[in-house]
Amino acid sequence: MKFFTPFRKKSPWVLHYNAGSCNGCDIEILAALGPKFDLERFGVINTGNPKQSDIFLVTGPVTYRSRERLVELYSQIPEPKVVVAVGSCTATGGVFRGMYNVEDGIDRYIPVDVYVPGCASSPQLIIDALVKGLEVLEAKSKEIEKPYKLFGAIETIANKLSRLNMATKVGQNEKD
Amino acid sequence: MIWVWIALAPILGGLVYGGERVLRARMQRRQGPPLLQPFYDMFKLLDKRTLIIHAPHALLALAHFAVLWFSIAAIFLGWNLLYIIFLHLFAQILLILAGYSVRSPYSHIGSNRELLMVVAYEPILILVAVGFYLVSGSFEIAEIVKGENYLLQIPLLFAALLIIVPIKVKKSPFDVGEAHQEIVGGIEVEYSGVFYEFLYMSRFLEYIFIYSFVYLFGGESHWLGAVLVFGVFLLVNLVDNATARVRPAHMLKIIYTVAVSLAVVNLLGILL
Amino acid sequence: MDMVLVLVLLPIIAALLLGLFPYQRLQYIISGATLALLSIVAFSLYTSLSDFTFHLPHNLNILIIVADVVLLLFFLYQGRKFNNIKVMVLAVAQLLLYGYIESIAPVAGRAEIVVDELSKFMFLIINGVGGVIVLYAVKYMEGESASPFKKRLFVGALLVFLSVMNLIVCANSILLFFFLFEMTTLASYLLIAFRGDEISRENALKALWMNQIGGVVILVGALIAIIGFDTVMFDTLLESSGGVLMLSVALLSMAALVKGASLPFEGWLLGAMVAPTPVSAMLHSATMVKIAPYLILKLSPVLAATMVGGIISLIGALVFVAASYLALSRSVFKEILGYSTVALLGLMMALAAIGTQESIAIAMVLMLFHALSKALLFLSAGVLEKQYHCKNIEEMKGMVNRAPKTVGFILFGFVSLTLPPFGLFMGKLFAITSVASLLNEHPAYLIVLLALIIGSALLVLLYFKVASALLSSASDVVQSETMPISAGFNIPLVVLSFFIVAGAVGYIMMQQNIFVILLAFPMLFVFALPSIIHSMERYDRTLPYQCGEKGSFDSALVYYEPSIKIQRAMYWGFGILFVAVALVGAMS
Repeated sequence: MKFFTPFRKKSPWVLHYNAGSCNGCDIEILAALGPKFDLERFGVINTGNPKQSDIFLVTGPVTYRSRERLVELYSQIPEPKVVVAVGSCTATGGVFRGMYNVEDGIDRYIPVDVYVPGCASSPQLIIDALVKGLEVLEAKSKEIEKPYKLFGAIETIANKLSRLNMATKVGQNEKD
Repeated sequence: MIWVWIALAPILGGLVYGGERVLRARMQRRQGPPLLQPFYDMFKLLDKRTLIIHAPHALLALAHFAVLWFSIAAIFLGWNLLYIIFLHLFAQILLILAGYSVRSPYSHIGSNRELLMVVAYEPILILVAVGFYLVSGSFEIAEIVKGENYLLQIPLLFAALLIIVPIKVKKSPFDVGEAHQEIVGGIEVEYSGVFYEFLYMSRFLEYIFIYSFVYLFGGESHWLGAVLVFGVFLLVNLVDNATARVRPAHMLKIIYTVAVSLAVVNLLGILL
Repeated sequence: MDMVLVLVLLPIIAALLLGLFPYQRLQYIISGATLALLSIVAFSLYTSLSDFTFHLPHNLNILIIVADVVLLLFFLYQGRKFNNIKVMVLAVAQLLLYGYIESIAPVAGRAEIVVDELSKFMFLIINGVGGVIVLYAVKYMEGESASPFKKRLFVGALLVFLSVMNLIVCANSILLFFFLFEMTTLASYLLIAFRGDEISRENALKALWMNQIGGVVILVGALIAIIGFDTVMFDTLLESSGGVLMLSVALLSMAALVKGASLPFEGWLLGAMVAPTPVSAMLHSATMVKIAPYLILKLSPVLAATMVGGIISLIGALVFVAASYLALSRSVFKEILGYSTVALLGLMMALAAIGTQESIAIAMVLMLFHALSKALLFLSAGVLEKQYHCKNIEEMKGMVNRAPKTVGFILFGFVSLTLPPFGLFMGKLFAITSVASLLNEHPAYLIVLLALIIGSALLVLLYFKVASALLSSASDVVQSETMPISAGFNIPLVVLSFFIVAGAVGYIMMQQNIFVILLAFPMLFVFALPSIIHSMERYDRTLPYQCGEKGSFDSALVYYEPSIKIQRAMYWGFGILFVAVALVGAMS
């Protein structure tokens, strides 16, 4: 529907997920949402619920324990959606890069649209990234986007498209 | 004319909601979203893929919205106040059943709380209706709006209504049903896209529903009604910004002790 | 008159036929035919205008006296056999009182049988609902572990019970009423004890002694009526005035409180839930306990606007709230239904005791629709018990996937009890209007009004709390095993649902109020929704949100229980109020 597409960027709802961050970036995100930087003037709501979100704000380098949740949450966000990787860890692994218990950045698991640098990244940067993300969001189609890893299957059961097994657990479907 | 108002009810409610978001932002000294933000949200939701759990769950949201709209229409048409309250109860029950119909922890907790909220505010609404009946001699809204001086005759019922307004518009201290930080919106957690839109719009209708009860206290004077609605609107948002959320049981206790006794005292005052 | 005879005799004949022919199919045919005949007769009787009166032949009267004595001796024997002092004492008390009354009872009087509007209405409830339950019982008993003869005896007993009920609602003589009252006590005693285990026995004895209290107060009431007015007929008593009239009527309505299992007597009705489900449906929700509001309705011309009537409606209203509240702490499905029956009976008695024309009409409507809805719920509970082996709502989680149809019936039952436009809801709605209009006459009605409002809200909480366990279902792309229910269960449930809908339509049309008809609109809309279920196929199915986890979820039920202290206070309070009925009667 062409008519509704411009409104995507007027009401970006955000899901914030901490994939093992040190909380530095999370605090900055909250600061950005708070009264001083007031992300709500862009129509941003921190929904906390993937099913009603457009923008997936991820912080942290993706620890082993968090990757299944990351992919599960990602696959529960309805398209069109945008992933914003907040902070150095999320982009590359940052100071945790190469450690035994982390994956180096979330783009090993899910496609990322906007990277935000900084350790921790500042609210101004986050706002900038969100606005950048909105441009990406407006250009996206409603096709299903799949995670790179831990992707199970999108099947049609009795004429209904099932995303139930879209995200799998580690070791359940593919070799990790 | 009246049908136009009925058709526009969600838009009216949306404006109230948008105004409220601006007002709350200003109370917190920030700029806040534009006034039309709720409509942007609605249009955006139409442009999303829709994920559902199962068909009845999604359809119940539609039914909830439709029945709620029906009850709003009944208000505009000046029906019996009791019918309106029970139509609203019907809508609420549909929503609660929707929340229960999925295997989702947040949805279930939300439904449980919503049910408790129904138990909390419904007696007060009915008592308010009875108060109007005793003063004006009729349950019909069309008759009630012809009366005057309700605020002098049933002030305590107005206070009782004031206590339950935050429940209906889901504001602190009685926003247990939604409680975004705690149970991720409760009942609405499993909805997305088009079907979330129905719930989003039914929130607008809830505003119309509860504020029209406030408006009734103005009687035949539209100005008084409008002033009351605006005053309550300000007050509710002020309280929302200033208070923390109470537990569901605590909420029930407050309603059943304070609000019910206020209502009863007022009714006894009329009768004796 | 013939039609009344048909109502009384046909069930007995059917019971005999059932006893004679041990063929399964024939049982269905007989019970089905009985249901059809009885409901047609009851309905045509209801639509006919004239009232009947009928004298019992002298021989029959003597037979009844003999039967009554035998019955009381049987109670005494049972009390002795199981060493229950309460049963024995009450049986002896009744024997002595009954003997004394029969010795001084006036011989001549008005007709013993009077069929008036109220009786015809009761016929409708008893035969319509009772017939369906008998039909259901045939199928239900197939799965019971008892000898074939005992099973047939069971169905036969239910049929005989129907004729007892048909007779009791047209009894004009208090003594005949007492006899039939004791017969219903006997029926509930025997049928509760049907399974013969320890709990059944214990609960049966409890039901026996509690109901015997009702018998005793009826006899005392009759004794006072004889002494004061020299009559044992209801209509003569109700026409007289002054003197000890109020005391006599108060005692009779105390019997109603006992039979209606008002607190503190709710124990017997809940204990009765160990009986096979048709018994619970027939005796303990749909028909027998309806004697309670019936009796109050019968007495309402005298009770209206008196202290006794006031205190009874107070008790009824408070029971409505208290029982609804107590039900919130229960987890056995039939017990929950039992408590809500107690609650609604309280409401009916409260409305009946108010005694204005409007409230009486509302009480009758509530009786009819409550009988239908509760029978539907109990029979569905029986299906869950027999086919899916679930008694406790904790075991019923996600039942909708396994038993969609049964859950549908249960949900329909709940909805018909709480939401517009079904009869019970309409009854409550009009009750609020009616009580509100009485407020100007006496502020004390505010208590009834409050109880009505809060009790209704609590019942909504109760029903939909139970629904929460039944409903939670997985996504519809997940295959689940469903087990169809057999036709023997299905047909009675469908018939009852049809009665509920037809009754609601009829009742709405009777209101002659366009707004009331429009109230049905949302329900029609909701029922039309499944027609667009196919268009829902284009949306993606997904898992519920669980913070990214993929575990299975087990819904937790919420219980609300008053503390022991409050419960005790509640029982004491209701006990005192119960006694107060007699005291107030004696004083006024």
